[in-house]
Amino acid sequence: MSTAGAGTGPNASGTPRNGLGGPGRAPAGRPAKPKSAGAIAVVVLILLAITLWAGLGIRVDLAAIARNWSNAVANIIQLTQPDYGFIPKTFPALLETLQMAVIATAIGAAVSLPLAFLASRATNPHTPLLRVVRFVMNLVRSVPDILYAAILVAVVGVGALSGIMALVMFNIGIIVKLVSEALDGEDAGAQEAALAAGASWFKADRAAMLPQILPTFASQTLYTFEINIRASTVIGLVGAGGLGVLIDNVRNFFRYHELSMIIFEILIMVVVLEMFSAWLRKRLV
Amino acid sequence: MAATRGPGAESPSAADIRFNNVSVRYPNGFTGLTDVTLSIPAGQMVGIIGLSGAGKSTLVRTINGLVPISSGDITVGDYTLAPGRRQLRGRALRDLRSDVGMVFQSFNLAKRTTVINNVLMGRLHHTPAWRSLLAAWEKDDVELAMQALERVEIVSKAYEKASSLSGGQQQRVAIARTLAQQPKVILADEPVASLDPPTSHVVMRDLQRINAELGITVVVNLHFLDLARRYCDRLIGLRSGTVVFDGPGAEADEKVFENIYGRSLTAEDVLEAKAEL
Repeated sequence: MSTAGAGTGPNASGTPRNGLGGPGRAPAGRPAKPKSAGAIAVVVLILLAITLWAGLGIRVDLAAIARNWSNAVANIIQLTQPDYGFIPKTFPALLETLQMAVIATAIGAAVSLPLAFLASRATNPHTPLLRVVRFVMNLVRSVPDILYAAILVAVVGVGALSGIMALVMFNIGIIVKLVSEALDGEDAGAQEAALAAGASWFKADRAAMLPQILPTFASQTLYTFEINIRASTVIGLVGAGGLGVLIDNVRNFFRYHELSMIIFEILIMVVVLEMFSAWLRKRLV
Repeated sequence: MAATRGPGAESPSAADIRFNNVSVRYPNGFTGLTDVTLSIPAGQMVGIIGLSGAGKSTLVRTINGLVPISSGDITVGDYTLAPGRRQLRGRALRDLRSDVGMVFQSFNLAKRTTVINNVLMGRLHHTPAWRSLLAAWEKDDVELAMQALERVEIVSKAYEKASSLSGGQQQRVAIARTLAQQPKVILADEPVASLDPPTSHVVMRDLQRINAELGITVVVNLHFLDLARRYCDRLIGLRSGTVVFDGPGAEADEKVFENIYGRSLTAEDVLEAKAEL
C-alpha cells in the first residue's frame, strides 16, 4: 500500500498510553529493575547437574530395599519392643557417657578461650602468630571425632580416657571457631579506648573484649555439651567408653530389644539436656 | 594524684604539645593533615573546628599515636612522635598514651560490664598483667576510679552495667575513665556528636571544669560553633588539612567561620539552632 497507515495503531506514535512510561521502561528518575532471572536459571541448572552427577556417581541400588524387606520388618518389630528389664544394666554406661561429656566440655572450654583470642584478628595483632593458630585450628577441626577416638584408642587404650581426649579435641575445634568469629564481629570500641589509655593488647583484650564475649562463650560451651552427649555415644563404638561400647555389644549379638532400650534412653537424655541447655542459654544472651 | 590535685594546680608534670610541620597521608592516598605547626601550652582548653573530612579527627589522633604521622614531628611533654622508622612504639608509646586520655564520639565503653570496670581500664597501664588477668585491682586504683566517677557526678551508677546508662551518662563514664589515668592531656574526638543539646552542655561543662580545676590540657573536636566558642579558650580552624584560623573564640566571627567552612553558616552548624528545629 502506498501508506503505512493500515498497520499503525493508536500506539504507533511511541507515546505512552497511560503516561507512566512504556512497558519494561522505568519512569524518568527511577532505575530500571535489574535483570537477574537469567543468572538464577544458570545457577539452578548448575546445581541440578551437580546433584545428578553425585547421584549417578554413587550408584544407588534402590532394589536392595525391596530384596531385604523381610529382614527389615523383623528388625523393626524388635526395635519397637524395648526390653525394660535391661535398664539397670545400662546405668553404668549411661553415667559414664554423661561424665565423659561433662569433663570433655570443661577441659575443651578452658583450653578454647585463650586460643579463640589468639585466632581472632580483632584481638591478636600479631599476624604470623594469628596465621599459625588458625592453621592449627583448621587442622584440628578437619579430623572427625570418630577418627580422633579410633586413633586415641590405639594410642591410649580402650576406655573413657581416650573418649574424653577425643571429645576435647572435637570441642576445641568447635568452640575456638565460633568464639573467634564472634570476636571478629564484636564492637572494638572499648578495646580501642583501653589501647589509647596505654594498655597492652593482652590487658585491653582481657578488660574490654572478654566481658563482651563471655555470654557467647558460655552459650557455645553449652551447645558443645549437647553435641558431646550424642558424640560420646558414637565414639564408644570404636571402644572409647560410654554407651557406645554397650551399643556395639548388643548390636553384634542382634539383641534389638536391648538396643532399642538404649536408643530410647539416649533420646530421653538428649531431649532433657537440650531443654535444660536451651533454657540456660536463653538466660545468658 | 590527679584526681585529688588542687584547683588550677601548676603541676610540674603538665605537658606542652608542639606540632612541627606535621603532615599525615593515609595508606589509601588521602591527605589528613598538611604541614601543620602548632603549639598548645599546658592547661589550655582548645577547640578544633572544621567540616567533616577537614582533618580534625586526624589531628587529635596523632597526639596519642593512634594515627601515625608521615612527616614532621610532635612533642608531648618528654615524648616525641616521629614518622616512619623513628615511630614511637611498644613500651614508650604506651607510657605516652597513659599520660593522654581520650574521649570518643561513640563513648567506647565495654557495655556488658560494670561502670567501675570501665573506669578501671584507665588504670591498666599501671596494673601488672597478672592483676589485669584476674581482675585483682589494687585498692588505690579502685579508689582513684571512684573519685573519678564522683568528679563527673555519676558514682551512684558504679556497679551498674554500662549498657543500662543513657548516652550522656555513658560519655561521663568515658570521661571518668580518662581521669582515672591521671592524665596531663585529654583528647576528645567529637564528644557530643551523639548527644542531645542539653546533655551536650553537661558533657562540655564537665570537660571545662576538669580543665579549670585539674589544669589538664583539653583538646576537643567540635562540629557546633556555638559550643566551641562558649567552652574553649582558643579555637583552631582546619580546612582540608591545613590550619586556617588560630585564635581566641571571641575573634572567631561569622567571616572567620565562613573561611573555615568554605560556605556561609547554616542552622546545622549551631547547636542551639538545631535544638529549636
